[in-house]
Amino acid sequence: MTEKVLIVDNISKRFGGLQATNQVSFHVNKNEILGIIGPNGAGKSTLFNLITGFYFIDSGSITYKGERIDGLTPDKICHKGITRTFQVARPFGGLSVADNILVACLPKAKKVSEARDRVHDVLEMVGLDKKADSLGADLTTLERKRLELGKALATNPEVLLLDEVMTGLKPQEMDEMMELIKELRKTKTIVVVEHVMRVIMNISDRIIVLDHGQKIAEGLPQEIAENPIVIEAYLGRGAKKDA
Amino acid sequence: MDIFLQIVISGLLLGGIYALISIGLNIIFGVIKIVNLAHGDFLMMAMYAAFFLFTLQGVDPFVSVFIIFPAFVLFGVFIFRVMIKPLLGTAETEVNTIIATAGLGFVLQNLALMLWKSDIRAMETSMTGQSYEFFGVMLSSGRTWAFVVCLIVALLLYYVLMYTKIGTHIRAVSQDTDAATLMGINVDKIYTLTFAIGIGLVGVAGAIIAPTYNMYPTIGLYFNTMAFIIVVLGGLGSFTGALIGGLIIGLVEAFAGVLASAELAQVFSLLIFLIILFIRPEGIMGKGARV
Amino acid sequence: MKPDKTPLILGILAIVLALVYFLPLQIYVRHILILTLLYAFLGTGWNLMCGYAGRLSLGHSAFVAVGAYTTLLLFKDFGITPWLGMLVGGVIAVIVMLLIAYPSFRFGVKGPYFTLGSIALAEIVHNLLIYFREYTGGSLGMSLPYKPTSLALFQFDGKEPYYIVILVFWLAAVFLTWKMERTRYYLEAIREDDDAAAALGISVNRNLIIAACISAFLVAIGGTFYVQYYRYIDPYSIAGFTLSLNIALVVVIGGSGTILGPTIGSFLIIPITEILRMTLGASMPGLHLFLYGILLILCIIFLPKGIVSLPGVIRARKAKKDGQLNQGAEGVL
Repeated sequence: MTEKVLIVDNISKRFGGLQATNQVSFHVNKNEILGIIGPNGAGKSTLFNLITGFYFIDSGSITYKGERIDGLTPDKICHKGITRTFQVARPFGGLSVADNILVACLPKAKKVSEARDRVHDVLEMVGLDKKADSLGADLTTLERKRLELGKALATNPEVLLLDEVMTGLKPQEMDEMMELIKELRKTKTIVVVEHVMRVIMNISDRIIVLDHGQKIAEGLPQEIAENPIVIEAYLGRGAKKDA
Repeated sequence: MDIFLQIVISGLLLGGIYALISIGLNIIFGVIKIVNLAHGDFLMMAMYAAFFLFTLQGVDPFVSVFIIFPAFVLFGVFIFRVMIKPLLGTAETEVNTIIATAGLGFVLQNLALMLWKSDIRAMETSMTGQSYEFFGVMLSSGRTWAFVVCLIVALLLYYVLMYTKIGTHIRAVSQDTDAATLMGINVDKIYTLTFAIGIGLVGVAGAIIAPTYNMYPTIGLYFNTMAFIIVVLGGLGSFTGALIGGLIIGLVEAFAGVLASAELAQVFSLLIFLIILFIRPEGIMGKGARV
Repeated sequence: MKPDKTPLILGILAIVLALVYFLPLQIYVRHILILTLLYAFLGTGWNLMCGYAGRLSLGHSAFVAVGAYTTLLLFKDFGITPWLGMLVGGVIAVIVMLLIAYPSFRFGVKGPYFTLGSIALAEIVHNLLIYFREYTGGSLGMSLPYKPTSLALFQFDGKEPYYIVILVFWLAAVFLTWKMERTRYYLEAIREDDDAAAALGISVNRNLIIAACISAFLVAIGGTFYVQYYRYIDPYSIAGFTLSLNIALVVVIGGSGTILGPTIGSFLIIPITEILRMTLGASMPGLHLFLYGILLILCIIFLPKGIVSLPGVIRARKAKKDGQLNQGAEGVL
């Protein structure tokens, strides 16, 4: 039985002269991995910002588990169960890695000690247990990405929105990350924005394609790979002939 | 109508002085993004410098500008190298530069106190007590000439910022230091230069207003608040903003001073300042999103 | 995770300071201790909002003034005991804080803009105190009507009782800070990156407001103590920029955003300031503040993270030296 956990219905968002999101509709099923792809500037990160309350939609609605969440602030949406990562990792630079995770565990923990107990496990999950005492600001880009994921996982989300987590990873690390995401799918619903095609094709159950703020295609990975509109969007009009 | 015009003109002249005082602060705050709490105390030092050059050497304040400006520029370079630069580039920069410049303020204030005691000094130049008449409106000569100098300085600065290479570099750094570095601009040199020029401009302001104000070592405090209000009101990083901000505050004070007491006039200016902070922190002329 | 040594240090400090009470000390030494603890108290209050949350206020004297004048006026004109006046002053301070903090946080006023706004607030309070001179005595200030030693009226002839009071206040403030562990973490996260904090479920505005209000309340209580101790206040000293700056200095030099930083900073700065003033103040006016200013500048350049960072800095230097020594040995071989 596929339960529609997140329903985005006809949302639009305008910034001054730019229609960043244009009547986009889609849904996410429970425990599936939904991939979102699209050329640069398609509005993928904007979509995440809209869903998680960093921007407010101009029109349409966003429903999570039957409840309207558009208009809520990011912290409330996180409490409801949706957590996002940022495309450019945003660690708490002045805090240690361990404290970064602790902070992420706190809002949903009844006691501080409860939160503290979870920190080590989360650090292990993302491979940062050896760096627990390093300052957030002193991490390499790769470590920051790991921390970003760790913080998101620490909030125990039901829905996880991952914004380009693969960028900068070596092929072997990408494989590990893909395995991790698939493992997470067992207990969570995951939406992944990615540029790396083999990753998206590999892990997604379904894919939607954005271009210029609009959804131009939706379907199974194989369907998307062969979709001429998608190919055109990525490679330009001339490519269609070669496809 | 006459009185109204008088108040307006007085306010504008006062505004010109305020603008002149704030231009140096605007540059430093706008480019290096630090708050120089010693701003008013530099001004005080310049006033004393002009005073002594006049009383001991007979140098007219408006001439002493040519001595004080370079001296203060060098002073600015020294202060930047010794005190500001070591503090830049960390998470605590904002707080630490505030503390450090506050400390500098103490140092300057009390240096003045030690050297020249707390007696109030006043300069008697050829312009003291003089005023021009202009269509039935009295213009205090000191303030009028200060206003003129303010315009000249503003125009010079505008020219340098907009039409010279160094000015473009300064503007680039104020907008995006990383991009500027990538373009080959030595941000450190620009910071030093900007700070030095800012201090130099304060020096000019102090020399110019010395004939029109009584001076004592703690007068800096008074000008500090005013200068910061004007800078934010007019808009960070916009030099025309400092002008407009100065003029507005000058007018507000002139009117409020007549209609109500001095304290209420200050309160009024401060409330306007707070409202601007909430609604439009980039100021009247400023561009760019809020911090 | 390193064990939290704070309660231990705090406990030792508290015991030492309590024992000090029994020592036969000169009056001016007691005075310095009282002043030190007062600033440690004020600084701890300031630290919650400005150190942990990173919203630097240089206008906290506004709240000191609110606490002081409220207490004084309620006592002088209505005979209300300063203990109650203290609470009323605290509440009014919170209201004043909300008036400026709520719009500030809502409109995202941060960094130097926030600081300038806070300075403006203090100046507004300062000017209003002078303007309403029929009630407040204007720039000449107002005296507390003298009453002989009375706990109920919060006035004592000797210094010792004041010492106990401020010791208790200080201890309570530091203890409170220590206890607010969760809020401290939230505030730090907000200071570092408030969007990232919100994305993790932290309510940014609510936490900031809480920190701001507690901060104002505590500082107002400090204002009450000030007027009961000095028995005289005037707008310049109690709502002026210098007081605001001194509160901030004590915390930043000691170590902003740490539980004991304000206390350590206070114990360093206040005694030095007072001793400088007493020894040099008479001989040449301004010399002590001149030296004070230089000391501040040196402190902030060499210890940008405050005195609490000193152990860490020494450790890092030592580690670097050891590393260099090893390298040198290898070079020889």
